Amino acid sequence: MKISIDLERCAMAGECVYNHPTLFGFGDDDHPVVFVADPTSPAQQLGARQAAQVCPSGAIAVEE
Amino acid sequence: MGALLHEIDPREFDAPGFQRDPFPLYRRLRDHHPIYRDRFHNRWIISRYDDVHAAFQDNDHFDRALYRPDGAYQFGSSHVFGPNILEYGNSDRHRWLRNVVAGQFVGQGLLSFIPIIEKIAGELLEACTDQGQVELVSRFSNQFPIRVISNMLGLPRHDENRFVGWYQALIAGLGFGGEHLARGMAARNEMWAYLEPFIAERLAHPGDDLLSKLCVAELDGVRMTLDEVQGFIALLLAAGGDTTDKAIANMWFHMLYTRPDQFEDVKADPSLWDNVFAEMMRYDPVVHIQTRYTTGEVELHDRVLPERAMVLLYLGAGNRDERVFADPDTFDIHRDDLHMGRENRSGRYKTNKPGHLGFGVGQHFCMGYAMARQEAVIACQRMMDVMKNPRPTHAVHEGITSPSIDSGGFRSPRELWISFDR
Repeated sequence: MKISIDLERCAMAGECVYNHPTLFGFGDDDHPVVFVADPTSPAQQLGARQAAQVCPSGAIAVEE
Repeated sequence: MGALLHEIDPREFDAPGFQRDPFPLYRRLRDHHPIYRDRFHNRWIISRYDDVHAAFQDNDHFDRALYRPDGAYQFGSSHVFGPNILEYGNSDRHRWLRNVVAGQFVGQGLLSFIPIIEKIAGELLEACTDQGQVELVSRFSNQFPIRVISNMLGLPRHDENRFVGWYQALIAGLGFGGEHLARGMAARNEMWAYLEPFIAERLAHPGDDLLSKLCVAELDGVRMTLDEVQGFIALLLAAGGDTTDKAIANMWFHMLYTRPDQFEDVKADPSLWDNVFAEMMRYDPVVHIQTRYTTGEVELHDRVLPERAMVLLYLGAGNRDERVFADPDTFDIHRDDLHMGRENRSGRYKTNKPGHLGFGVGQHFCMGYAMARQEAVIACQRMMDVMKNPRPTHAVHEGITSPSIDSGGFRSPRELWISFDR
């Protein structure tokens, strides 16, 4: 699995960071960063899919 | 002399004048007591924008729930709602419950619901605009969001009126207490009894509606208990119904009475209702305070807040902070120092403009923020379609008020009469 964030589309809503703090965090420029770009555990993979689903700007992509 | 002049008598918080116009006291707090210790009510008050914003994001020091050494906690609404999501503080359980429903209120989940929002707005308006004048609060705004929620839950449309009745009793109980509280509890019990067979049915045959999602969502293989589902729905009615209800009334109040000149701009360009929403949420939002409890000692402005202190975050005061917003006491839908677009849970915006604090920020940021804005703006725009040349029926209005700001009382006009041509 591969997680990526399109920073052009990102509206900095922060939903990914609040809901999945082990996968995402805020970078120094206030934009979110991916901590684990290729999660392997089922829990983290589920979290990545959920993050992509609830991202208000549709900026998170998950490649299975 | 100066010090005495700015001294605050904590009984001012209980005075009727404060409920009508809290803003002068807010200013004294910001200017002279940014961290105010209220010994009379045994609590602390934070009132500047930056401090409120920071506290909202500081989960290490501020928790939504108060944990006692024995693990139990107390929260101000559980006597009415039963066990509910707000009680779970900063826990994994809170995050999980929030995730179960949050998806319904943003993005695709919300988009799929817009036709129903439009339909319900249309039905209600048709019923209440046949006379050339309408009392907006009771005939429209009081009913609109609650009918939307009932639909989201997937409950039968012919039961909507019962839901509206329970809802009105429930929020009166929360707002006014006393005999209202007794009626509110009775309504809640009736509603819970009504919901039970629906919950049983959804557990057996889950569908796509929100009630089904609540019933079957699992955390570590465990579902919500019956009373948790019931409590969640009671909370949804108040948090998602009452607030949007009052937001719509507040938006119209400001257009009719505060800025009739800017109302002309909105009539010419209905997309400006989005700006009305954002500026209303800054200038005088529905909710003015959020409560937190310190999880340890906190140092702020040379003061030390003790552990397990009750802290009121005065977001209504932060929104009027002249350190952040120019001319903060002027309602201005064209102001360029406020982020007018969709709110962000992170409180950060690409425009680098500050956002209002009306939805909170961070961990407990209003879950229904996008839904609330969408509902309110759609409702106002449809009203403009139906009511030509809307104007205040009465020249003078008592203004926006609230039962009790400090206990989270919602601010809104009690009545709002609008005259119009058909």
